[in-house]
Amino acid sequence: MRRVVVTGIGLVTALGATVKETWEAMLAGKDGISDITSFDTSRYKVHRACEVKKLNFNGHTITKKPFTVYDCLLASAREALEDSGLNGYELLRRDRVGVSVGTLAGELSLFEQRLRNHHLNKADGFDMEVALSYPPMTLSTQLAEEFHMEGPNIILINACSSGNHAICWAFDAIREGKVDAMIVGGSDVVPQTEFTHFHNLKSLAPEKCQPFDKNRQGLVVGAGAGVLILESMEMAHRRDAKMYAEVKGYGLSSDGYHMTAPHPSGEGPVRAMEVALASAGLSYRDIDYISAHGTGTPLNDKMETLALQTVFREMAQDIPCSSVKSMIGHTMGAASAIESIICCIAIKEGAIPPTINYETKDPECNLDCVPNQARECKTNYALNNSFAFGGNNASVVFGRTHLPAERGSVI
Amino acid sequence: MTQPKGAGQADVRKRVAITGIGIVSPLGIGRQEFWTNLVEGRSGIAPIASIDVTSYPCKLAAEVKGFNPADYLGDKGLKYLTKGTKFLTSAIKMALEDARLNTNGHFPEHAGVIIGSALGNYSQTTDYTYNIFKLGPEKLLPMASFDVALNSSINFASVFFKLKGPSRTISSGFTSSMDAIGNAFNLIRSGRDNLLIAGGVEQLSLDSYLIFLLQGLLSGSNNSGPELSRPFGRYRNGFVLGEGGYVVILEELESARSRGAKIYGEVVGYGTTYIGSNRFSLEEKISKVQRVMELALEDGALSVGSLDLIYANGNSSKLLDMIEARAIKGLSVDASKKALVTSVKPLAGECYGAAGAMQVVSCVLAMENSLVPPIANLEDPDPECNLNLVTKKALQIDIRSAMVNSLDPAGNGSCLVLKNSS
Repeated sequence: MRRVVVTGIGLVTALGATVKETWEAMLAGKDGISDITSFDTSRYKVHRACEVKKLNFNGHTITKKPFTVYDCLLASAREALEDSGLNGYELLRRDRVGVSVGTLAGELSLFEQRLRNHHLNKADGFDMEVALSYPPMTLSTQLAEEFHMEGPNIILINACSSGNHAICWAFDAIREGKVDAMIVGGSDVVPQTEFTHFHNLKSLAPEKCQPFDKNRQGLVVGAGAGVLILESMEMAHRRDAKMYAEVKGYGLSSDGYHMTAPHPSGEGPVRAMEVALASAGLSYRDIDYISAHGTGTPLNDKMETLALQTVFREMAQDIPCSSVKSMIGHTMGAASAIESIICCIAIKEGAIPPTINYETKDPECNLDCVPNQARECKTNYALNNSFAFGGNNASVVFGRTHLPAERGSVI
Repeated sequence: MTQPKGAGQADVRKRVAITGIGIVSPLGIGRQEFWTNLVEGRSGIAPIASIDVTSYPCKLAAEVKGFNPADYLGDKGLKYLTKGTKFLTSAIKMALEDARLNTNGHFPEHAGVIIGSALGNYSQTTDYTYNIFKLGPEKLLPMASFDVALNSSINFASVFFKLKGPSRTISSGFTSSMDAIGNAFNLIRSGRDNLLIAGGVEQLSLDSYLIFLLQGLLSGSNNSGPELSRPFGRYRNGFVLGEGGYVVILEELESARSRGAKIYGEVVGYGTTYIGSNRFSLEEKISKVQRVMELALEDGALSVGSLDLIYANGNSSKLLDMIEARAIKGLSVDASKKALVTSVKPLAGECYGAAGAMQVVSCVLAMENSLVPPIANLEDPDPECNLNLVTKKALQIDIRSAMVNSLDPAGNGSCLVLKNSS
C-alpha cells in the first residue's frame, strides 16, 4: 500500500480568490457574508449568503458575476496544480492522473438563468449549452480536458460530504497503485434552487452563522471551491515536491435514520470518526485539531458535540474544534474539500482558524470551538468531519508528513 | 465497537461474491421476468408514455411498465417518492431477499450502499426550480424537496433499510453504475467493508430526453432514419433511451459462504480510465478502450483467452460501437479463443448511468443459466464490427469467466471481470 500526500492546494471562497487571501482573512476572523446579488431575494425572509466576489485567473482578478460551479472549480484547480508543480514533472504519466470532484448537484445556474428569463414551459430551460453542462460529470471532464489528465474521472454526489467522498475515492485509488496522482476537489455556488430548499426547510440563519453558540439560528449558504492535489508519497519524493500533509485514513457511515434530521446521539458520525481513526492507526488522543462539520443549525451542533464526546471521551473539551462555516458559510458539496485544505494548512502553518460570531456559551456544546480568535497550535494530526443531510457521514484524518520520532503510533 | 477488519490498513485481498440480484426494468420486474423476456427477445421499447414528446422527433423509449412499488415498499409515504427512488428501493429490496438477508435493517454491522446515477432525481431538482419561477418560492412546501436531490434515492434507501455503512452516489455519466460496482468491489476486496449493495438507477424524464436529443445521440434524431436500437448493425443511428433500477449484493466470499448464501459468481477485476477526450484521435480512443479491458483483466489476473463472454457496451451509437468493436478485436488478436459478444440494450434501452449495472446483472444471469441471449435487431452486422456476435437465438454455453463493458463517449471507459465460482 502506497502512502498518499497533499502536494498542492487551491481555494475560492467568499473571503478570497486564493488560498493566501482566504487563509489570512480566516486568521483575522473575517465574515464573508453579504447581501445576495446573484438573484432577487425580495420574496424570501433571508437575504444574505457567502457568495464568491471575485476569481483569480492567471493573475487577473475577475469580478464579473454570477460565477458558475465550474468557474470556481477551475480557478481553484489551477491554483492547486501550479502550487504542486505537478505539470512540470517530466516523467508524469497523464493516464495515471485522475480527477475526482464532489458537488451537490452540478451546474444548476445556467438552467436557472434560462428559466428566470423565460419560463412558460420547463423545456425553455434547455438549450445546447445547458444540455452539455447539465450532467454533473461535465465538471470533472472539463477539468481533465483543461489540464490534459487522462486517468479515471469521477463525480461524487453525497450532499454536504461530497468533498470528503472525493478525497476518499482518490486516496484509495492512489494507495492501491491504480493512479499516481489525482486532482481532487469540491465546488458549489448558491443556486436559487438550493437556497429555496434550505430557506423553506427553515434551516437558514437570517444574519450570521454561529456554530456552537447557544443562540445559533441555522446555516448560511456559501459558494466556493477547494482543490487538492493528492499523490503517492513516493512520486512526491521523487520529484522533490513540497508536502502539506499526509492523508492518513478515513471513515464513512450512514445514520440510516432520517432524510433531513441527524440521528440525535450522532451514532453515525461516531462510527465515521472511529473508523477514520482506526484506518489511520491512531487513537483519539493523537488528534490535535478537529475541523467540525459545525453548520450552526441547532440540531447538528448539539449532535456533533455528543458524537465528539463519545469518540474523544476525556479529551472532548480540550481538543480545539472550529468551524470555518462561521466565516465562509456552508459551501455544500465544496465544504469538506475546503475544510480538508484548512486541516492541511493548519498542520503546515501551526495555526488554526476560529469559529467567529461566537457570543454565548451553550452547555450542550461544551467544546473548545476556538471562539472568535485564531490561535497558534502545533498540529500533527487533524480530523475533518462532514455529516451530510440524509445521514451521510465522512471523516478524514490528515497527518504531518515529517513527524518527530517520539510519535511512534504512525504506521 | 467492532471495527471493520483491517479498515483497509494492511495489504489484504478478500474475494468478492455476488449473492443477490434485484431488477426493476422495462423488460420486467424481478430477475425471472427480466431474464425470460431477454432470452425470448421480447422488447421493452415502445412509444413514450410518461412524458409529452409530441413536439419532438424521437418517439420511442424503454420505459418501466406494470411496476407496483407498494408490492415492495408498502403503501406508506409513496406519494413523496420519485419514480427513481421507487425503482432503486424496490430493486434493493428484491436483491436483499434474493440474498436471503433480512430487509429490516439487521445486517452485518457495516452494510452500505454505493449507487451510480448520471442524472438520478435531477429532473425533480429542475422541476423544483421551474416551480420557484412559476409558482413563487413561498408556495413550495418543505415536503416538496423531500426527494428531489440527484442522490436522494440513495439517501432514502439507506434510511429505509437502516444501513449503517457507507452510502455513496457516483455520477460518472454512462459509466456511473459500473464505477459504483467497481468501487464496492474494491472496498470489499481491500477489507474495508463486508457487504455492499451496488448498482444503478435512472428514470426517463423530459430532462434526460432533451439532453440526449439536443446532442443528437438518440436513434432517429436529426432525420437519421427509423428509431431502432441495433448495436453493431450496419445502419445503426444512435440509441433508444431506457430507465430502471439494477442492483447486486456484493459480499466478502468467506462470510457469504459461512452464512450459507447462494453464490452467483465472483467479481475479480475492475478497470477504469478516461477515454472521452476531445484531443484523442480515433486510434487513440480505440487503444484507450482496449486499455480499460486490459486493466480489468490484469486486476483480475485473467487472460483474454479465458473469457467466454463479453457483455458489450454496444448501444447502437455509430462511432462508439465501432470503437468498442475494434478495441475488442485488438484485445483478442492473439487469443486462441474468441469470446462471444452480446448486448442487452436493443431490448432494454440505453439507461446511461444504470446501464453498467443492467449489463452486470444480465451477465450474471447468463452465467447462472449457461445461456447467452442474442443481440436483438441485428440482421445486418457492420463489417467494421467483425466480432463473435451472438445473433438471432440464444446460445447454450458454459461461462466460466466474462467481461462487462461500460463506455461514456465523453467520459470514462469502465470494465468489470466476473468469474463463475461453481
